[in-house]
Amino acid sequence: MTLARKIAWRLLVTALCLGAWEGAYRLHMLSPIIFGSPSLILKAAATDGVTFLDALRVTLYEILVAISIAWVGGTALGVVAGMLRPLDRIASPFFGAMIAIPFVILYPILIAWLGIGPESKIVFGVLLGMFPIALNTMIGVQSIERGYASMAMAMGASRLQTVTWVMVPLALPAVISGLRLGTSLLIAGVILTEMLAATDGLGFWISYNRSLFNTGQVYLGILLALAVATLANLALGRLERRYGSWRARQQAAS
Amino acid sequence: MEEVGAMTALAVAETKPGRTVIEAIGVSKLFGSSSGPVQALADISFSVGSGEFVTVVGPSGCGKSTLLQILAGLVPASSGTIVLDGQTIDGPRPDKVGVVFQDAWLLPWKTAIENIEFPLALRGVPTAERRARSQALLDLVGLGDSARRYPHELSGGMKQRVAIARGLVQEPSVLLMDEPFAALDEQTRTRMGAELLQIWERSGRTILFITHGLAEAIYLADVVLVMAANPGRIVERIPVTLPRPRTIDMIGSEAFGRLRNHIWHLISDRGPL
Repeated sequence: MTLARKIAWRLLVTALCLGAWEGAYRLHMLSPIIFGSPSLILKAAATDGVTFLDALRVTLYEILVAISIAWVGGTALGVVAGMLRPLDRIASPFFGAMIAIPFVILYPILIAWLGIGPESKIVFGVLLGMFPIALNTMIGVQSIERGYASMAMAMGASRLQTVTWVMVPLALPAVISGLRLGTSLLIAGVILTEMLAATDGLGFWISYNRSLFNTGQVYLGILLALAVATLANLALGRLERRYGSWRARQQAAS
Repeated sequence: MEEVGAMTALAVAETKPGRTVIEAIGVSKLFGSSSGPVQALADISFSVGSGEFVTVVGPSGCGKSTLLQILAGLVPASSGTIVLDGQTIDGPRPDKVGVVFQDAWLLPWKTAIENIEFPLALRGVPTAERRARSQALLDLVGLGDSARRYPHELSGGMKQRVAIARGLVQEPSVLLMDEPFAALDEQTRTRMGAELLQIWERSGRTILFITHGLAEAIYLADVVLVMAANPGRIVERIPVTLPRPRTIDMIGSEAFGRLRNHIWHLISDRGPL
């Protein structure tokens, strides 16, 4: 009952907002070029829906390839840097610098090397996403206190069990925070570079339609891109709560 | 009636009097350092009988923690042999040796009872069985009501009780304790000592307890092993003849004071603490 009510309220509020937006547009209170309108977005979906779904597929492909590289590469870099003592003194400022560099200024070089196809977007996304993941993973690994390993070994854990039952869960909250941060940067990076120079993808079609003042199409593309980012964030937020809630409870207590 | 449940779940160790449970023969440990090898332990030999409570006391740096790690099978000895329950130790033997460290090292995402179950879970003991055994031990250490609390919801003393229960859950014949109460405030430490003696009496385990507190060492022990540093060695084996059950009042008695002075001189006459 309460849930149904909550949903009903949300739908009502959304409908009112959309109605007000559409009404303002109909009454010529808003410039259609700057603000668009719900009906313009629907019209765009009807005429160019297929184009945008294809574009979404291209963008999702680039994002998924970039995620698989950045997640594996970032966590691997972080684990190695976190475990090898002398290495972390170089790794920490290095990862920090790689996060601070505005890679977008290097994008023209990436295009020269890789062309304007998906490859340059994937590499750019990886560059943006991988280092926050590596840095957080490194911090997570370093924060594991050695006493836990001694305890586990004394209780009869094998080396593998010590890693999987104790070390990984201890490092996981920090790693997942890194994944969440890195992935959101990665998605932004892919869509941004599609806007700069591409032949397909959500970013490209948003940019293309903007130059033609097709405001409905621009808004449709933005909505799809937002949906991708939101879904990724929700999924990773769930993961964070599933494997990191103990750290939050612990911090709240201390 | 909780105690009865705990007793039956935790099969009382066979206490044939005089049976040797721990035997250390000529144990030495060398550590490499930048200025050449350092002898942490030199020719340590001692034996502990079944059901005995032995404390090891000595200045910091005398290698008492290293000795415990060797006994626990966590660190290999450079030479010498450890025989536990008739078997030579060359690695962790959780079925024979339970360990309690200075920090409880409870896994923060597990509840108190899940932490006690941890060693059993590693071995694949079925859930129902390990839950029952862990609950019996929680009752034994006086935390029967706190099974579902998380480590951050427990005080330092309660965490160490959980760690003691975890050390006992595999029914080892020996419980090794490495300054388990050192991080607690003095009142809690005294109370935990008294409770540990009760747990020891109820469970019938053999306990080897490392401490740097002289009063604690005497109050708890049947036998005090006094260590000295550079190199780490045992300088005297002192039987404590105070009657049991021990009471806090005994700490003020004359016999207790004499023992304490004796150990104090053994340690302090050999250099700075």
